Amino acid sequence: MMTQPVDAAAPAPAVEIRFGQVGLIQVRIRSTDPGAILDELTGKVASAPLFFQRTGVCLDLTALGRDPLLEEMRAVMDVVRRAGMLPVGLVGGSAAVESLSATLELPVLAPFRPQTQAVPVVQPAERAEPCMPTLMQQQPVRSGQRVYARGRDLVVTATVGAGAEVIADGSVHVYGALRGRAVAGARGETGARVFCQEFRAELVSVAGVFRVFETLPPELAGKPVQAWLEGDDLRFSALGT
Amino acid sequence: MAEIIVVTSGKGGVGKTTTSASVACGLARRGKRVAVIDFDIGLRNLDLIMGCERRVVYDFVNVIQGDCTLKQALIKDKRLETLHVLAASQTRDKDALTAEGVKRVLDELIAEGFDYILCDSPAGIEKGAHLAMYYADRAVVVVNPEVSSVRDSDRILGLLASKTQRAERGNGGVKEHLLLTRYNPRRVASGEMMSVDDVKEILGLDVIGVVPESPEVLAASNSGIPVILNDESDASRAYDDAVGRLLGEVLPLRFLEEPKKGFFARMFGG
Repeated sequence: MMTQPVDAAAPAPAVEIRFGQVGLIQVRIRSTDPGAILDELTGKVASAPLFFQRTGVCLDLTALGRDPLLEEMRAVMDVVRRAGMLPVGLVGGSAAVESLSATLELPVLAPFRPQTQAVPVVQPAERAEPCMPTLMQQQPVRSGQRVYARGRDLVVTATVGAGAEVIADGSVHVYGALRGRAVAGARGETGARVFCQEFRAELVSVAGVFRVFETLPPELAGKPVQAWLEGDDLRFSALGT
Repeated sequence: MAEIIVVTSGKGGVGKTTTSASVACGLARRGKRVAVIDFDIGLRNLDLIMGCERRVVYDFVNVIQGDCTLKQALIKDKRLETLHVLAASQTRDKDALTAEGVKRVLDELIAEGFDYILCDSPAGIEKGAHLAMYYADRAVVVVNPEVSSVRDSDRILGLLASKTQRAERGNGGVKEHLLLTRYNPRRVASGEMMSVDDVKEILGLDVIGVVPESPEVLAASNSGIPVILNDESDASRAYDDAVGRLLGEVLPLRFLEEPKKGFFARMFGG
């Protein structure tokens, strides 16, 4: 991390500027119809409230195919907030988006995929970030409890009860029965997977793509199962097949 | 060294007070000095089940607030001389309980020389339930073989493992035991009710006892005689077995099968 050089004679600063990496959920706007956006987002938030409620989201305007008007954007931001998410940035490379960002007082964040414009290069960290060992959870995760492995994988060597949540920025491995919710790639890592020894999950999510299980499909119920992302599809298969 | 045991469940109506009363009597019958405390402030039941409701002069909240001494509030059981009851207040609510007040009372009971202090928890996970479990060394989690009771007990087990003094200090944690109550072997056999193994699988714990559903439990509450004192009842024998296992005895589980009707009972109905 880079910090500003401090003048020894100056008084202690009130703030410190640092550069860091933050994972953000990206909401790609394909239509500015406020009703449709509100319906879809409310549904998403309701299906995993602890995951989505009051979470910061970045509004990606690159799929609209045109520059939205200011009033349209105000309506979109209003419904995003009403659904329970908080817009904290815009993505889009055009001058119109720059102007929107100034009026709406939202930053234009660097796009997720490389564009033809030059992206400012941040100085690489002087120290390589140490590789964190996997978070090990040996005790059963009881109903109402939540375990979160920040920046690493999670291994649970006991049961995850119904109504419990196991979350990791990396992969989630449950060497026991998974009866609650499992969220892998919580900050966008699409290569993360969920593994369990006995599949009875209520909800499984990888990098934000999730599926709720009102009934367990017979080919998965009670079996060792893995879940992974193929493009935008969440796939499940019994392990060993 | 005194041991504080909390009897809790999460779900209401599963048999916590019935269990607290019977386990307290069971331990006292074996010569232990036992105090049983009702933590359900405002909805007290332990005094009814113990049959001492007309002898409550001072209660738990009075002791905490210093209106009386602990000795004045403790009610000696008429049947077992080493058993004492500390009733809850009926007129206050759980806000009258404080962590420091509860600790003071428990410390004083330990100083008085009690071997076992049973804390009868209210249902739920709010202040009364939290304080009943906070200072416990052991927990008896009462579960009915039924989905909502099992789910609530899972939650309670999570709280026992995280929001108790032993969990916070990291010195071993609260020792957890499951007690299955209202077990009906006929309904288990027909697949209507969860079995002992089903409950053990979901909660990941062994049971310290299985108490069968019995009509004598209702009669016991109505008469103020804890069911363990009724020698004719299967529930009584099951509770006595559970007390034995709490004290370290190894006993096989009984009452898991439907009782077989004898020849005459089958011929003439019974």
